[in-house]
This record gives sequence, C-alpha cells and structure tokens, in this order.
Amino acid sequence: MNRYLKLVHMEVHRFRYLMLFLMGIILIFQVGAIISVLSDELSLKWENPAYSSVRQPFVPEGMLSFTWVISQTNFYFIIPIFISIAVIGLYIFFIWYRDWLGKSTFIYRLLMLPGARCQIYLAKLTAILIFVFGLVSYQLLLLPVEKLLFQMMVPAEWRVDSYWPEVISANLALDMLLPRNVEQFFTIYGAGIMAVLIIFTAILLERSYRRIGILYGLLYVAVHVMAVMFLPDLLGIGNPDSFLYTDEIVGLVFGICLVLLMLSVLFGFRLLAKKITV
Amino acid sequence: MVIRVEHVHKRYGLRKVLNGISFTADKGQITCLIGINGAGKSTLLHAVMGLTPIHGGHITIDGEAPGKQVYERIAFVPDHLTMPPGMRISESLRFMEDFYKGWNMARAQELLQFFGLERTERLGNLSKGTTAKFSLMLGLGQDTDYILMDEPFSGIDMFSREKITEVFTSDLIEDRGVLFTTHEIAEMERLMDKAVLLQDGKIIRSFDCEVMRYEEGKSVRDVMREVYQS
Repeated sequence: MNRYLKLVHMEVHRFRYLMLFLMGIILIFQVGAIISVLSDELSLKWENPAYSSVRQPFVPEGMLSFTWVISQTNFYFIIPIFISIAVIGLYIFFIWYRDWLGKSTFIYRLLMLPGARCQIYLAKLTAILIFVFGLVSYQLLLLPVEKLLFQMMVPAEWRVDSYWPEVISANLALDMLLPRNVEQFFTIYGAGIMAVLIIFTAILLERSYRRIGILYGLLYVAVHVMAVMFLPDLLGIGNPDSFLYTDEIVGLVFGICLVLLMLSVLFGFRLLAKKITV
Repeated sequence: MVIRVEHVHKRYGLRKVLNGISFTADKGQITCLIGINGAGKSTLLHAVMGLTPIHGGHITIDGEAPGKQVYERIAFVPDHLTMPPGMRISESLRFMEDFYKGWNMARAQELLQFFGLERTERLGNLSKGTTAKFSLMLGLGQDTDYILMDEPFSGIDMFSREKITEVFTSDLIEDRGVLFTTHEIAEMERLMDKAVLLQDGKIIRSFDCEVMRYEEGKSVRDVMREVYQS
C-alpha cells in the first residue's frame, strides 16, 4: 500500500506542470469571457439604464443574473474544457509510452521494483483519476469565484440571485461535467473510467506483443466498444415488445460493463506480470 | 548461490534470439557474456531480470524464478538511463531509498563522490559516460547478492572506463555475483572468472578463464579469435 501511494505521488508529481497549465487556461478563458460579456452589457447599461439584452424566465427585465452570464459564455467555457479532455485523452497514452520511449526508459526501473507490478498499473490509473477529478474540483471551486466576480462587477440593484443547478444547466460543458445525481455520475465517469481501463489494456497488449500487439489492442478496443454500444439495443431497450423492462436492461448493461471492467483490469495485471517486454 | 539459466528459448516473431541457452553465474564470481552485436546478450539479461518473457526453459536466482521477490537481491545496470530525465540525481537517490529496503545511502554517497557526480544535476543533461557512472552507482548502491551489467563500457571515454574498471577491483564487487555483457573485453579480461561466448542466440563456448590459461595457455582473446574467426 505504501509503495503504491509512493508511485501515485510520483505520477502526480510528473504531471503537475501540465495540470497547472490547464488550470491556467481554464481560468483565463472563463474569467476573461465573464469580464468581456459583463463589460459589454454594463457599458450599454451605463449609457442607457433602460437597456437590457437579457431575456430570461423568472428574471425581472433589466436585471442581470449569474445564470445569464454563464449562458452567454458557453463557447469560452467549452473550449478550455475540451482542451483539458483532449490533453487527458492523450495523457492516457503518454503515461505509459513516455516510460518506454525517448532518452530514458523508466519502465526498466518500474518493472524491477520489489513489489507487485499491478501497483504500477493502479498508480497510473489513480493518477489519471486524480488528474480528471482534480480539474473537475478546480472547476467547482472556480464557479463561486466567478460568481463573486459577477457580484463585484454588477451593482446590487441590477442583479438577481441564481441557483447553482440552473447555473450548471445554463452551460453545455458544465452540464456534462458536473452530474447532479448518482446515475448521471456513473454514466459519465463510469464510462470514462471504463474507456481508460480498456485503453490501458490495449496499450499493454501492444507493449507485450509489439507489432501484432497493435492488432490485438485495436481488436480489444473494438470488441468492447461494440459490446457497450450495441448491448442495450440487443437487449431491446426502448422496444415495447422487449422481454425485459428498461430498468432491468439498464441494470444488466451496468453489470456487464462492471464485469468487462474487472476483466480488463485483471488482464492488464497479467500482461504486466507475465508478458510485458522492455 | 547461483543464477541458473537452463535451455532458454526466446524469439521475436519468427526470429530466434535465444536458442537453448544454458549456463550458471555464481555468487562471488565475475561471469562475462561475450558476443558480437545481436548475439542475444542483452535479451538474456532482460530475461534473467524478468523484463521480457521467455518461450522455453527456466531461469532461477538462488532457486527462485525472476520476480518481485528477487529484486532486492539482484540489481541490473542497463547501458542507458532508467530514471526520468527530468529527475535530479538527489531525487533519484530518494526514489531508490523509498522503494528498496536494501538501498545503502551511505555507499551511494561515497560512489557519488568517487564518480564525481553532482547531486543537483538533472539526469537528462548527463553525458553518455556520466550516465554509465550514474547507472553503476544505482546498481552498486543496492545491497544485492548479484549485479547484472549490460555493456558497461560501451561508447564511453577512457577516463570513465578506468573509473568503472576500478570499481570491478574494489570490495564493492568482491562478494557479489557479477554477470555482465560486452562485445569488447579489453581491460576486463584479467578480471573475469568465467567467459560465455554467444553467437546467434547459442552458446558456442563456455569456460573458466583461469583453467583455460593454465591448461591450454590461452587468453580469452585467443579463444575469441579461435571461435569468431574460424
């Protein structure tokens, strides 16, 4: 356990600058967009106090809400979030390949550590999860800061309060990123974790069998993607004549995904212990 | 106390890299795997360290198969850097101390001084010769029974070679089993106890250097000439 935590610490230490860079991008884009939208709106309002471009239900005319600002900055919220998703997507590959390729082959040292090799796998997986949830947490912390900025910029007589659920719903990226119930959390992040594990196993297949391993890896990914995508339809979800109720199908798909996930992990452990080659 | 390699086979695709290799490397002896490039020397060391799977045969270290249980007793010094290039030398020492119970920090500090390595230096900035010394320091800093070295003299300058050769004659090596590979024996000839000559994944000659000198009056270099130029 201790050795696993040290490995996690080391992996986090290795991506700290990348994470800080993404945090910087998120801050600049979002805060910049909020300041820009509010400045435009407020300058027009200062010139003509009767002016208002805000048309929102439950918001008195001429008033500004944080929800409105968030809905107006959709694009600038989405861009840094998509950049972060793309970087994390690439990092899933980089976290393994950087240890094999380049000037240093750190994988030699990692594989020669006097502990179970599955700890390397788990440490890399944990690092990815810390990366993802670290950025999500940062976004959650940034929202109140952005709300404070809104309150500082807009005079009290021109603003109305917003509720967090409506703020989150007002932005496509936030709506996707911040689930508001357990089912949504498992659907979004469960699918994400499963994708990471499948890719990890595909990478280990490639690293174990090299050229033919690329084919094995691609096949492994394809089979899993097909299973997950077509399974609900195969079981008859949305079909009134289906033998199973929707809840039962969802439960079954969830169970099958869980089994595939566990098999991926165990297969990855085995490859790392018995088949991997430097 | 011995590293035992028995009938080991290994292939990459259809190409056989190791073809029925068998030999032993005893504790307290220096065993040298000699062969031209591509003979299978590095692959054999990787197999002994469990860094690549074999397709036949057995490898044991004091009766145990390579794996997590033996990494405290056997150290491997490859011919390239095995730490992240962004790490400083001091950080790499801490890494070794964190993960290996048998890490001897006092000895590692002595070796740092002996090799003239700067603690603050980033590993990515080290030259080839300094990298070789750094890797050797990591290997010798562990209290292990065996140490494996892959081409410790390859591509490094004369002064670095001398420093490394000096280590081979010191008490740092004395009680350990050393298994190293080379394709140019040069200054190591007088130090090695046993030579294993490889060609195309097979052992073509294996002998005790002392016995060979006394009984047949031949040096390792003479035997190499016989074998590789015949």
